Amino acid sequence: MKPEQLLFAKTHEWVHVAPDASGAKIATVGISAFALEALTDLVYIELPKVGREVKAGEPFGEIESVKAVSDLYSPVDGAVVAVHDALANELESLAADPYENGWIVKIKLSDETALADLLDYPAYQKQCAEEEH
Amino acid sequence: MDSWRLLECPPARGDWNMAVDAALLERAAATGQVSLRFYAWEEPTLSLGYFQAIGGRRSHPPSNACPIVRRPTGGGAIVHDRELTYSLVMPRASKYARDASALYRLVSGSLVDALGDWGVKALLCENPPRLPAADEPFLCFQRRSGWDVLVGGAKIAGSAQRRRQGAVLGHGSVLLSRSAAAPELAGLVEVSGVAIPSAALGAAWQERLAKACRISWRLGLLDETEIELARRLVDEVYGSERWTRRR
Repeated sequence: MKPEQLLFAKTHEWVHVAPDASGAKIATVGISAFALEALTDLVYIELPKVGREVKAGEPFGEIESVKAVSDLYSPVDGAVVAVHDALANELESLAADPYENGWIVKIKLSDETALADLLDYPAYQKQCAEEEH
Repeated sequence: MDSWRLLECPPARGDWNMAVDAALLERAAATGQVSLRFYAWEEPTLSLGYFQAIGGRRSHPPSNACPIVRRPTGGGAIVHDRELTYSLVMPRASKYARDASALYRLVSGSLVDALGDWGVKALLCENPPRLPAADEPFLCFQRRSGWDVLVGGAKIAGSAQRRRQGAVLGHGSVLLSRSAAAPELAGLVEVSGVAIPSAALGAAWQERLAKACRISWRLGLLDETEIELARRLVDEVYGSERWTRRR
């Protein structure tokens, strides 16, 4: 996927929403290339279990780089339906391919309200530029 | 000139020390308050990095008798004994908290400057070896990371961070002298021949930080909200077996 096709949280997670076979809306979530560049040298990730209920703005996992542990925040409300467990052993793929193989979790939306708070790519780029200055 | 809070805390148990740092982080996210805290340990204590497995302590017999606590921050295990321990909590909006390296650079760089007051030539670690996580030594002070503070090739200060929405916690240790619970690690006095009292080093360091950040320090105390939150975090997190043995 291209970043132009995605929505972004202010906390640097990306989201792609698409219906599954039953028509339920599934949000695929990862970390933006901008955030991954700042994190550098990832060493550990803790991922949620399938079935966990998550709320927009609340942590769903953690990641460690250069001795800094950072929370990963859910951009949406729903339940985790898939977890990219293989990432724990191939963390380099997060930075190498953040918007495809770097997906972290898939969340079945229980409420779409939080989507309205997400940024499109131009707005997210603007936020990143402001953070750099 | 901005005024930041300075906290000088008496020796305490490991679970209380970690709970206070976590409480300061949580409150900083809500209030935007910057705090620098110097603290100490009631008895030699082993702290594990957030992602470390507790089973790793079996690889370090000298610290086996020490009580153990799991930190909210990353990196390797530390035997907290003859050291100066600090935490610095900042709102995420601060230019020093924007990314991990900015805060490491500020803290370690000002420590290097402060050590110069005693004629100690300290350096920041540059181009550390990149090892797979599984190959890293158990002890933080046997690892090398960028911005570690080295004297004569020995690591005498290490630090780690917890980054959350709204605020960042950086904390770490300066090894003042060798501990019987980590006899393989030389401290400042062994590597430099200079014995620096903890309080004097803390005072010189805070002065360099104030100069670097163009702020003044305001001596303060934990407020009631922070104390109540820290008590809850001892009960629910840092004092619980579930947390300590989670990995």
